[in-house]
Formats: sequence, structure tokens, C-alpha cells
Amino acid sequence: MDADAKRTQLAAALVRVAQGDRASLRIVYQDTSAKLFGVCLRILNDRSEAEDVLQEVYLTVWRKAGSFDPARASPISWLIAIARNRAIDRLRASGVLRKMEPIDAASAASDPTPDAAERVELAEQHLRLADCLNELDARHAAAIRAAFLDGTTYEELATRMQVPLGTMKSWIRRALLKLRACLER
Amino acid sequence: MSENDTIDPAGSGNMIAAEYVLGVLGASERREVERRLAQEPELAAEVAFWEERLAGLADGAAPVLPPPEIWSQIEAILSARAVRRSSLWESLAFWRGFAIASAALAAASLAALVYIGLLAGGPTARAPLMATIGAAGGQPNFVAAVTASGDSLTVVPASLLTNDPRAIELWLIPVGETRPRSLGLIQPGQPIRLQIPPDLAGRVTPDATLAVSLEPPGGSPTGAPTGPVIATGKLTRL
Repeated sequence: MDADAKRTQLAAALVRVAQGDRASLRIVYQDTSAKLFGVCLRILNDRSEAEDVLQEVYLTVWRKAGSFDPARASPISWLIAIARNRAIDRLRASGVLRKMEPIDAASAASDPTPDAAERVELAEQHLRLADCLNELDARHAAAIRAAFLDGTTYEELATRMQVPLGTMKSWIRRALLKLRACLER
Repeated sequence: MSENDTIDPAGSGNMIAAEYVLGVLGASERREVERRLAQEPELAAEVAFWEERLAGLADGAAPVLPPPEIWSQIEAILSARAVRRSSLWESLAFWRGFAIASAALAAASLAALVYIGLLAGGPTARAPLMATIGAAGGQPNFVAAVTASGDSLTVVPASLLTNDPRAIELWLIPVGETRPRSLGLIQPGQPIRLQIPPDLAGRVTPDATLAVSLEPPGGSPTGAPTGPVIATGKLTRL
């Protein structure tokens, strides 16, 4: 199935979930749970916490599917946002010590190559994003990636990249501004 | 808009949506953004822009298959909520009507009433803690009652649930928890009394959920439901 067909099918399933169709929630779960579990696991770094959050994510999808607007958001982006918000909130609430290994700009700059089927729906936007990230200073791009994937705060990022907090804030804000200009181009 | 205006801390409000989506804010700042989202459509549109455009970064996290019981638990919780939506009066009236109207099942329902009467210890005793367990919107399939001593649970079949040859396992989802805990195997054709495991004794309370799943012979090998959840019900004091 091509990217458009997959996206349309997932969007249609979410619309039916909003009408209370549990079979469609199952379709959404089957199509997306591995991706969202990977996202939660990366942020929480703890299997049992990530399992708990994944369950919350799909209960949230069930409750909030009515606010998904297929004309304005891609279904997978909408789902990823829910999963990341839930996982980051859990992470902030847990107060556990974060993994604090240094972020290496060189290695963080290249993504592991995802399975073609996994990224099929994101492909177009992802390519644009990758191009825009490439225009950034390598360290700034690494900080953006680490922040998104690990859900790290400014303070943790500053520690991991061994720069003062103010420097990290200005790196990130500068990078976000450039990204915004590039993504809108 | 000059770049410096926005990098300046005084202008950092412009970046708050992007920072929120990126995930660099602390818990209280996140709550503040979420509070504003409901009232500020511009901020909400800005958050939506970043959620859409940054989602591709998630490709950096490798997909991982979640364990199969996660879906069973989601189903159990949704079924429990569907049962909860119908009010106590409705479900009781339905249950009583069902008990009177259904001649073929009268014997089983009567058995349930007798049991509950015995367990309650007469009209002056404390109201029994019980649940009708059924598929969402369907007939109750089991009636469960906690004994007066609180250490065991009697489960009486009310209507035939399934001809499925698989084992039928009863689960407790305590109030405020999401993980089902096994209470043991039950029978489609006969009443059974289950000892409540000591570690669950304090959690068999009003509003806790009972759920029934189909499992391999001998019950779930994992300690969590592995098969479909076919019926649920909430414990209530009559």
C-alpha cells in the first residue's frame, strides 16, 4: 500500500473510533502500536513504564479521537504527539535519574535507517525535515534530535552536551527559528 | 520579525509552542502551555504546526512490538467503562427483569439470588458487594458476590456466555489500577467459589472491575489476560 492509501486508511479508522467503533481502534492499534511503543520506550527507557503509557495512549485516542481533524493533521503525527506527551509527562512525574550520556553531534546527526514500511507515511515530510536539519549547525541538530527522541529538558541537554544552560537555550531557539523558516519555504 | 527579538528571553513567548512540542520544558511549564492552549487558538495552531512538522524525528526511535496483553487490557478497560455508563438502576432493573422473564435461565438466576441472600445473611446484614458480568450492552452472563467475610467470591452463571472450549478466567481490576489480576478459573455451567488471594483482599471494593477472558487450558500462562475479554462488570453494593 502506498503512503497516501495508508494515511487515508488510518485517518478513516480514527474517524470511526470517534464514533465509538472499537474494531477501528483495534486497527489503529495494530497499525501503530509498534511505532508508538518504540517512541515511548526511547523516552522512558523502562519497559514496564512504557507499557503503562502505551495503554494510556490508546485510551486517550479512544477518548479524544473526535478532536482529530484529517484535514489538518496527518494521523500518525497526531498519534505520535499523544504518545510523546504522555511519555514526557510520565518522565517528568517519575523524577527518576535520566540517562545522561553525552550527546555526540557526529553520531547523533545520522538516523538509524528505519524500515521502509515504517516510514512510508512520513516519507515526504521527513525528507523535508531532514533537509532542513542538515542546514543547521551539527551540534544544534544533534540537540534537537536528542530533545525530541529522549524528551530531555534544557538542563539535561546542557549537561549532556557540556555547555552552559543559556547557551543550550539559545542553540535550541535559534535552531527552531531556522527550522521554521526552512519548513515553511 | 528579527531573529534577535525571538532569541531574546523577553520574546521567548514566540518559541514556547515549539519548545513544548520539542519536549524541553519542565512539568509546570508544560501545564502552563496546556492551560493556554484551550484559550489561545493561535498558540494551538502553532503547536499543531510543530507536531506535524517534527513528527518525522520519531523515525529515530526503532519500532518495538508491545507485549500482546497490552491490547487485552485496553479492551478490558473499555468494556468496563461501557458497563459503567449504564446506571446502577438500569442494570439492576434489567437484571431483575431478565431473571423473571427468562424461563430457561430462571434456575440459574434463582441460584444466584439464593446465594446472594445467603451471603448477605438476611435483610439486616450489610448490603452485599456484587457485580453482574456481561458483554457491553448484552445480558449478564455471571453474577458475582463477595462473601460477608470478604475473603472469597461466589460466581454464578446467569446465561450461557459461550460454547468456546477455552478456559474462562476471572480477573480483578482494582480501583485506580489498570493491570488485571487473576482471581482464578470459573465455569460456564456451575456456580463456583473462589478464594480471593490475600494480596488482593483489600482491593475487592466497590467500583473495582471484574472481567472474564478466554484462555488456554489451565488459564493464562502469563499472569495477564492473553485471550479476548468477553464480559466485564463493576462491583457495587446493593
